[in-house]
Order: sequence, then structure tokens, then C-alpha cells
Amino acid sequence: MKTIKILLYLGLIGLVGASLFIYSGLFSIGADTPHSKPVYWILEQTRERSIERASADIEVPSLEDPSLLLSGGADYNDMCSSCHLRPGQRESDMSVGLYPPPPNLAIDHTEDHDHGDKSATARKRFWVIKHGIKASGMPAWGITHDEERIWAMVAFLEKLPELTPEQYQIITARD
Amino acid sequence: MKKLTQILLISLPLLTVSFASDAHDPKLHAKKAEKANCAPLQKMKNENKKMDMTDPVMIAMTKKCEKQAQSKEMKHMEHKGEHSEQAKHEKMIHKKVEHKKMKEKKKDDGHKH
Repeated sequence: MKTIKILLYLGLIGLVGASLFIYSGLFSIGADTPHSKPVYWILEQTRERSIERASADIEVPSLEDPSLLLSGGADYNDMCSSCHLRPGQRESDMSVGLYPPPPNLAIDHTEDHDHGDKSATARKRFWVIKHGIKASGMPAWGITHDEERIWAMVAFLEKLPELTPEQYQIITARD
Repeated sequence: MKKLTQILLISLPLLTVSFASDAHDPKLHAKKAEKANCAPLQKMKNENKKMDMTDPVMIAMTKKCEKQAQSKEMKHMEHKGEHSEQAKHEKMIHKKVEHKKMKEKKKDDGHKH
């Protein structure tokens, strides 16, 4: 009984302390001040686990049709390349200024995150493009784009790390 | 007054959603888009004749450049057609003017005699 009482008091003190901290305005919300390592880890784990769970049941269609590259490439160039970069580009105002920094999708990340499982990468990418990520600068494109266009972008992303700047220019140009 | 508020509350989000769904029509992007630079593709094909033509990237690029060449040709033909139509029209006007001049000349000659 005593232990429960102590735990309740500690919880209450924690709640009051957290409320005081929030209302004091002491937390630096600026994107140019990085999170502390533990906060970054908590947020990253929350994000990765949430995406993994939410995208687990998504069925990945065939992404081999070359025409998907043309429609997905043009959309990527217009909507994503300013943050996620293009072949031959190392940084942009957006990629440097956003926090957390958006991943450079012109470089292959499949090995780092999904141990080479292309299908897992594809369904996670589909989910992220469709739903966006809270407080990260990643919009939910599913509100204004149908699933066909989002899958085309996923198909393009699979090929993006292999493209040269010349190939990228041809594939992403609009008619 | 209550009804008006209700109508506004329903119609405003609907309008916003309908405008938003038009926001990313590919045609809207096309206005500011640059054309595909197909010269490097031709060069790649000429330099490396053993290129994998079953590669989706290669197929996509070829498709894009063929489409662009076709639309360029169509525009050229249209322009040529317009040009020849205009030339025909100008020729006809020129003929009419000449004919009128000849007639007037004949009339003048008739009066003199």
C-alpha cells in the first residue's frame, strides 16, 4: 500500500513538473537546436515502430512497369527533390534547414533499414508518402494524390539511387 | 442565421477539399516544367551498343524521348501546314489584286480609245 502511495506521489510530482516545464517556454522549439540524444532516440524509435506497424499489411503491387518511372519521376522532381535531393546533389536549403534532416533518397538506404528487404522498404515508403509524418515537414500526399500516383513514386524511388544526373533529367521531365 | 452558419460550416470544408484535389494535377506542373534533354541518351546508345534494352530505366528513357520527338514532329508539321495555308491565302489575294488591276487597266484603255 505504501509503495503504491509513493508511486502515485512520484507520478503526480512528475506530471506537475512536466506541466511547469511546458508552460515555462524553456524548451527550445527552434529547428536549429538539435534534440538531446535520448529525446532523438525516443522520437526516432516511436516513428520507426509506428511506420512498421501501420504498413505491415500493405500489399505491394508489381512496380516493374517502366511507365511508372515516368509518372513517379516527374512527381518526385516536383514534390520531393527539394528536400530529398537528386543524383549528384549533396544538399539544398531544405535538406540543411529541416530538422530532423530529410533522408537523401538519391542514396540507397535499403540495406541500413530493412536489411535488403525491398518489399518492406516499398510498403513503408508508400505509407509515409500517403500519410506523412507529424512535425517533421513530411506532408501527407495521400490527401491530394491517388494511390496509383503514390505507388509510381515508390517505383521511381527504387531506381533513383542507380540514376545518373542525365538519366534523372530525362525521366523526370514533364511532357 | 443558424441555418446560414450551418451551410457555411458544411460548404467551406467541401470547397477547400475540392480545390485541394485539383492542386496537384500533372498538367499544372507541366507549365513550368523543362523538356527532357535527349541528346545524352542518343550518345549513350551510340557509345555503348551493348546497352541492356530490357532495363526499365532504359525503356522509360526511350519512351520519353520518342514521345518528345513525335510531338516535336507533329508541331513542325502543323507549323508547316499553317505556313503553306497562309502562303496559299496570300497568293489568292495577290491574284485577285492583279486581276483587279488588269481589269482597271483594260477599262482605262477602252476609255482612251
